[in-house]
Amino acid sequence: MSFEWPWQYNFPPFFTLQPNVDTRQKQLAAWCSLALSYCRHRKLYTLDVLEAQESPLFNNKKISRKLSVEAIQIIFEELRKKGNLEWMDKNKSRCLIMWRRPEEWGKLIYQWVSKSGMTNSVFTLYELSNGDDTETEEFHGLEEGMLLRSLQALQTEGRAEIITMDDGKGVKFF
Amino acid sequence: MRRGVGAGAIAKKKLAEAKYKERGTVLAEDQIVQMSKQLETFKTHLEEFASKHKQEIRKSSQFRVQFQEMCATIGVDPLASGKGFWAEMLGVGDFYYELGVQIIEVCLALKHRNGGLITLDELHQRVLKGRGKFAQDVSQDDLVRAIKKLKAMGNGFGMIPVGGSYLVQSVPAELNMDHTVVLQLAEKKGYVTISEIKDGLNWERERASHVLDHLLKEGLAWLDSQAEGDPQYWFPALFSELASRDVTPEEANQMTP
Repeated sequence: MSFEWPWQYNFPPFFTLQPNVDTRQKQLAAWCSLALSYCRHRKLYTLDVLEAQESPLFNNKKISRKLSVEAIQIIFEELRKKGNLEWMDKNKSRCLIMWRRPEEWGKLIYQWVSKSGMTNSVFTLYELSNGDDTETEEFHGLEEGMLLRSLQALQTEGRAEIITMDDGKGVKFF
Repeated sequence: MRRGVGAGAIAKKKLAEAKYKERGTVLAEDQIVQMSKQLETFKTHLEEFASKHKQEIRKSSQFRVQFQEMCATIGVDPLASGKGFWAEMLGVGDFYYELGVQIIEVCLALKHRNGGLITLDELHQRVLKGRGKFAQDVSQDDLVRAIKKLKAMGNGFGMIPVGGSYLVQSVPAELNMDHTVVLQLAEKKGYVTISEIKDGLNWERERASHVLDHLLKEGLAWLDSQAEGDPQYWFPALFSELASRDVTPEEANQMTP
């Protein structure tokens, strides 16, 4: 299914940081929204700032417009303030982009577990994210870091327990 | 003895005058009775006209145009007041009042995108869409009349002639002749540059720059500094691709009251 771009994406000024404060606010809000939708659609869990500059998200070749690195940084900062982004390194070159929060992922995973009647079973992390059984689930392919955090969220709620096993981590659901 | 002069003659004159006066009063009374009868006939005819055409007024935009023109010819403004004969008998007032409300709704919903400026074409499209398939026909003439009423009521509405049609302004942004003329220049491509203004309107750079700054400040224009050559000033209201897009839930959340 192809991604549906919002009207702003084909509006050339959208790629120039607006000088008017009110307009800039609208622009940044629209960019945050677009970035999250795009990553959700492509199931991207992390972004590299330099690579991002060349991705279709921030570079619209059709109208020959792209966001400057400065603008991308500003948008990332906005996303961070909203709780949708976390930096993975001190240099701010790579980030975790959370178009779904760990708690929300946890909920989805738990729903599948209880629906399948699998409470009280133990799963390896790999089984959850890459097993055949979960292939049609939204959390299939979930990046390991995010998966762990979602399970930690469930653990806090008392609905799961993370277990350390010989060859990695596992989880038991209640 | 001289004729016509003297106490007797004056008295006679006075009597004659009095008699004429009385006659005049009697005449006036006659006329009034006549006029009442005529008025009664006129009112009946009008009521017949109203009931016969009330449906048509609501249904046909062409009929409305002709009706308005007829009224204009005889010096009547059917929208002059909400209450009153025309509004009540024909429901003309209701129709335009409701249309006005719809127009305000559309403009409010899109204000955060275009800053309060919208082409008459786009407004028309969206009003028709909002009314649905089985609703009454609404023409651009209807919209223009409804907007004129809104303007008269002081709702901050205005119309700017551009490219053979109009831009409808729904926020009381201060737009003077200079701003209007630049909007007209930008209409064809949806954007304009300082050089184009200088060349097209024969203005000094400073004047052009001042106008564009104001339009940026009012949220009507966005700056594009990645264009080849001069920076371009784009107007969402004139961006044709925008016209067909619905307001998304995200945009709805961004709307400032």
